[in-house]
Amino acid sequence: MKRIAVFGYSIMSLEVMSRLNEDQYSLVFIGQDESEAALVEEKGFASKIIDFRNDDELRSIGIGADIDIIFCFYPKDSDNVFLTFSARAIDKALTIVAIVDDPESAEILLAAGANKIIDPYEICGRKTHDMLAKPDITNILDAAVFGRHDLHIAQIEIPEGSYLENTRSCDLKLGEKYNLILIGVVDRESGEALHFAVGEKECTLNAGDVLVVLGPSREISSFKEEVEAVL
Amino acid sequence: MLTRLIVNFACLLKASTNYRNTKLFFYNLLENPESRIKSNFNVVMICLVLSSVFLLIYEVDTQFTGIERLFEYFLVTLFIIEYLLRAWLYNDVHKIILENYEKAEYLNSPFRLGKVVRLILAKKIEYIFTPLAVIDLLAILPSYRPVKMLQVLLIFRLLKLLRYFKSLNLFAEILSSKRFELYNLITFLGFLVFIGSTGIYLFEHPTNSGEVGNLFDAAYWAIVTVSSVGYGDIAPKTTGGRLVAMALILTGLGVLSFVISIIVSAFNDKMQDLRENRTYAELKRYPGFVIICGFGRVGLHIASQLEKHRQRFVVIDSEEVNALKARRLGYLVIHADASKYEVLINAGIRNRAAAVLCATGDDVVNVYITLTSRHLNPAIRIISRANSQDNVKKLYQAGADNVIQPFEIAAMVVAEYIGQPVAFEAILGIIREEKQIIMETLIVHSGSVIDGISIFNVDLEQRKLMLVGVISANPVHRKHKNRYKLKNEHFYFNPDPNFVLQAGDLLVVLGRVIAIDYFRDQIEKSRIGNGLKP
Repeated sequence: MKRIAVFGYSIMSLEVMSRLNEDQYSLVFIGQDESEAALVEEKGFASKIIDFRNDDELRSIGIGADIDIIFCFYPKDSDNVFLTFSARAIDKALTIVAIVDDPESAEILLAAGANKIIDPYEICGRKTHDMLAKPDITNILDAAVFGRHDLHIAQIEIPEGSYLENTRSCDLKLGEKYNLILIGVVDRESGEALHFAVGEKECTLNAGDVLVVLGPSREISSFKEEVEAVL
Repeated sequence: MLTRLIVNFACLLKASTNYRNTKLFFYNLLENPESRIKSNFNVVMICLVLSSVFLLIYEVDTQFTGIERLFEYFLVTLFIIEYLLRAWLYNDVHKIILENYEKAEYLNSPFRLGKVVRLILAKKIEYIFTPLAVIDLLAILPSYRPVKMLQVLLIFRLLKLLRYFKSLNLFAEILSSKRFELYNLITFLGFLVFIGSTGIYLFEHPTNSGEVGNLFDAAYWAIVTVSSVGYGDIAPKTTGGRLVAMALILTGLGVLSFVISIIVSAFNDKMQDLRENRTYAELKRYPGFVIICGFGRVGLHIASQLEKHRQRFVVIDSEEVNALKARRLGYLVIHADASKYEVLINAGIRNRAAAVLCATGDDVVNVYITLTSRHLNPAIRIISRANSQDNVKKLYQAGADNVIQPFEIAAMVVAEYIGQPVAFEAILGIIREEKQIIMETLIVHSGSVIDGISIFNVDLEQRKLMLVGVISANPVHRKHKNRYKLKNEHFYFNPDPNFVLQAGDLLVVLGRVIAIDYFRDQIEKSRIGNGLKP
């Protein structure tokens, strides 16, 4: 189970925490004062109060030890930069996701060591445009990505010893066998890029490759179980 | 008898559609500022006026040949026809006749034709004395050869251009809006010139060995000096004369700078209207543009996306800073409150606009704009931003087609990024069309090659396309499984090979742009081949 620390009280923090599956992630909210912590605890999440400017206090909540991911959701970009900078200095392998208010701060956050920058306004702007330009596609992809229906998009990594090892991607026939659509494959031999399973060269699957599939959640789970069942 | 005849004729005119249409046509041609035909007519007239002026200048020292004279006659005839048409358009004579006739009938008093004629003439004379009509008339006169003096009136033909140039009209409007200040200054300037010319005449009279022989010379010198032109042909010699000159130069400078500052400030005031007029004029040329209400952070991103995809749009924002920001980026901007009926109507919500995007940071304003927009155009697409979850329902009730919550979407993005980064990047790539692979919809046209064909026979694999599903509102498909409800239709995910496509269905396919375009072309061509219009 991955451990995530969420810094900063905002609509974003609450939205993200409510969307992450509690079975897969252990979430802890890091507040600056009692009132913030109380508000979050009311929603059923664990919380701690620390001063993020102090490295020792950051270590005390598990950064550099058992925390895998941190979310920097402070309203002020400077706070997020400071937190990112401090956390990266403590733990080189930590995944840091930060929101940005002023687009110009994005580069500073990246330079400070953030892995992913989220600009809510940019995402909203793009989304509005997608909705306007391609309403049908946007609706379907929304359903798939954000799970508004029973339709999901999922990534499945092929473990060593899986029955899929050494099979060719075109022989999978997921549509007929599992009611799933294979969107693409990440062939670890040729890098991290995703190869779409349409009109591209077929590849032979190996352990470590990732399949990106689209379909109903039940079918995804059963396919995942079969793939992960080591011979 | 004559009265009866005239009244009957007036009734006939009132009832005649042909008469009404003819008058409307000429109104559109000559007067209607909104009509396209008027702007074309104006361009032709500007060219004709300019060529006629050149011709008249050419005539000053040469004799006209036959063709040139013919051209001048043609022009003058055109000007006369235009003048008479404008006089005709100025008011409806038959209305005056009928109004007075009905009044006389109602009061049981005799209908006096003489009085009505007087009223009609008064109206037409009123037209004749409007400034532009006077210029029109004066522009016709220079062609009257026997009176050579009338050639001076040539200048009025140039003034006729005022009619056809919008910017010249604007300048006249600006001057008239500041007429109170300008009158006062001109009166003051008149006093200055009068005092200056009297003073210089007294000091610089030839008896005092000066150069100012008469009062005209004195007035000429005073105007040249006060305007700080100073030709130097007449220069004061006496100390008194020089003192007058110094005083006149200093006061003249003050007055002139005052006049200029008044005109500049009037221009500044009008600049806003001018910019907006330009925006409205430009919008009239675009069919199907988007109205973005609110140019905050979200509005800015929407605008840049639309710009990237070369879609026309206009930004409406009531905040000066935001309007300025949009203007600096070169976007069309209306600096006004988008919740006002008038603003949205002027922006074209009722006719040419295709969608309204409510992107302000205030949910109350977004609900208001959504309601107003839906009321003004029940068919328009409205996408609104909601900052709070509680207001999503209200926005849908107000008439929004889609509601977008920035923080909700951003949170979903974060959750997906953490859980399934590869899958997430794949979908993001498809949505943003950053990769060569895109997801598109293809419509099954009635009578096309895929209408009534099973998915197995469409053979998408051979076309290098992947079928994700079919969107359809057709109840025939209801028996198929994997059905997901969309707004008014269903999405059939991964349909089985026996799924028979019906006209109006949308195929959702994944593939390279060229493969999708090629297949779309084939569908279109097969449809035209079957004798159906595209």
